[in-house]
Amino acid sequence: MDIFIAFMESTIRVSVPLLFAAYGGLISERAGLANVALEGLLLLSAFTGAAAAAVTQNAWVGLGAGVVAGALGGLVFGVTAIKSRADHIVIGIAFNMLVAGLIPTVCRAWFGVTGGTPQLDRESRLTSDVALFILAIFIGALLYWALRSTRWGLRLKAAGDQPDALTVQGVSASFVRIQAAVLCGVVVGLGGIDLSLTQGSGYIRDMAGGRGFIALAALIFGGWRPLQTGLACLLFAAADAVQMLLQGKSVFDYAIPNSIIQIVPYVATILLLALRRSSMNAPRAINQPL
Amino acid sequence: MKLVSFYVTLFAIAVGVSVALGLSALLGESPILVAEVMLRGSVGTATALGYSLFYATPLIFTGLAVAWALKGGLFNIGAEGQMTIGGVAMAIVGILLQDLSAWVAWPLAMAVGFSAGAFWGWIVGWLKVHRGVHEVLGSILLNFISYGIAGLFILNIFRNADSPNPETIAVGSGFEFSLLHLIGGTSPLNIAFVFALMAAGLFDFFIRRSKSGLYLRWVGGSPEFARRSGVSISRETIRAMMISGGLAGLAGASVIFGYMHKAREGFAGGAGFVGIAVALLGRSNAWGVVAAGLLFGCLQKGSLDLDIDTENISRDLAVVIQALIVIAVAARPVIEDPIRNWIARRAKVVQ
Repeated sequence: MDIFIAFMESTIRVSVPLLFAAYGGLISERAGLANVALEGLLLLSAFTGAAAAAVTQNAWVGLGAGVVAGALGGLVFGVTAIKSRADHIVIGIAFNMLVAGLIPTVCRAWFGVTGGTPQLDRESRLTSDVALFILAIFIGALLYWALRSTRWGLRLKAAGDQPDALTVQGVSASFVRIQAAVLCGVVVGLGGIDLSLTQGSGYIRDMAGGRGFIALAALIFGGWRPLQTGLACLLFAAADAVQMLLQGKSVFDYAIPNSIIQIVPYVATILLLALRRSSMNAPRAINQPL
Repeated sequence: MKLVSFYVTLFAIAVGVSVALGLSALLGESPILVAEVMLRGSVGTATALGYSLFYATPLIFTGLAVAWALKGGLFNIGAEGQMTIGGVAMAIVGILLQDLSAWVAWPLAMAVGFSAGAFWGWIVGWLKVHRGVHEVLGSILLNFISYGIAGLFILNIFRNADSPNPETIAVGSGFEFSLLHLIGGTSPLNIAFVFALMAAGLFDFFIRRSKSGLYLRWVGGSPEFARRSGVSISRETIRAMMISGGLAGLAGASVIFGYMHKAREGFAGGAGFVGIAVALLGRSNAWGVVAAGLLFGCLQKGSLDLDIDTENISRDLAVVIQALIVIAVAARPVIEDPIRNWIARRAKVVQ
């Protein structure tokens, strides 16, 4: 029984950054902006949030700074990808590189080390996992409703499926995509904050550890739909929780090497993706210049 | 017209470097000092240049790998994983066959590295063709899996228990690549650099002259035309991913056989990801990739001294410069199209 509770707890904890990143990605991809920059956005907001919290000793300032950094990052990524008319994936990869280089550079100039921000004390951290989990679920529900029943949602989907239809209506598809990128940054930013202010106590180098990409996989596996994407995140989080529980355990007197246990979630993801031809549901005009 | 692209690419590089130097000024470090440290560190002495070429070697391989896939309209961002798997396979062969002479060992090692990388690329291609998994997603996930498999071999099966480092036991002496002292001074620049140039030559030949190169360009440039001409897009896609993965699989040879003489955890060190930038900057052209690989090798080597010689900047500035160059190159149409239009209009007036 104890192990079951431990499993549930770590599933919820692991799922929070995945949910935020996947829902952020959903907003941008449904608008037609292919988004491999989720990893960079997570890192950017995790670092900025932790840096602000370390300087001000205030968790709420950290939260605000992380979200603003996410929004600005989303704006930079969105404007660059859309205005350059380049491949969104190229810009996304470059964005990730840029963040990966900028953070340690700035970190050394500010804190003297490239490895991360100073350790945060209890007062400058956010201590409730569950509150952020509920917020993530709430955002998912909000998206579910907004994509069906609001003008914003319909325009978002139009920008992703048939941008010409928007142009005919006199709505700028570029604008819809850019505001989606900013909103995406805000939502992903909450996930970054969870990494550095709730799960961790400060920023450590590369702390997103591929979660941005797993979130992208969850989004695709979930067919770009909010409910299914959320479930996919929980599934991947459960696989990760199993992985963590298995570490250091032995099966039939044979100690499984940790390097093998650690790849369980990725193998599970590939198998699940291979089971379902999910890319059929992709927004039709994704990664197409306007 | 080709000349326009060339100058615009140079302009993009200049933009990337200037923005990064401006950033270092913002962070309180003299841009002149930063530029000087980086130039001195990358091309200042024969040994420094040798190190730059040593760093460029894996980048040329991974750059060619990404470029081959790009020719077929595929985005292989799994070069890091293919390099890891290829490198581990090469190291295993080197460890198991301790008594082989170099004449057999080198070609064998390269063949094994290519095949292992090609297998890793094949998975991506197969998943795309038969299960509809986008190659970007498939290759990202396979990157993570490759780290685990490499860890299994490096940290468990072939681990050197006497070493404090996470590394394998040494490969047979026949597998040690000769160093190129003439160019590289005391740096670990080795024969793998020559292999990289040979790979570029073969790449160029196959893309231009062979049937598979032609089909690849059809599939990448105009899939509908390829399909109507009876070319199987599925088969070409899988083959392109295999060749791409194979090229990436060779990228570890330089550091494993020329420098470490064993496999150490994390030996790929991000070369697979930088290879994406190299391929984009080199415009998927073999010699363009070589030039871009040399530039990025110099940037990587030159930036190492920033950790010591400057107060506020670290070696990570090289990554910033590389990212900015990629963005500037990707956004090239914004600069290039007006220039092309202007030239076209001028040509009309002259006529």
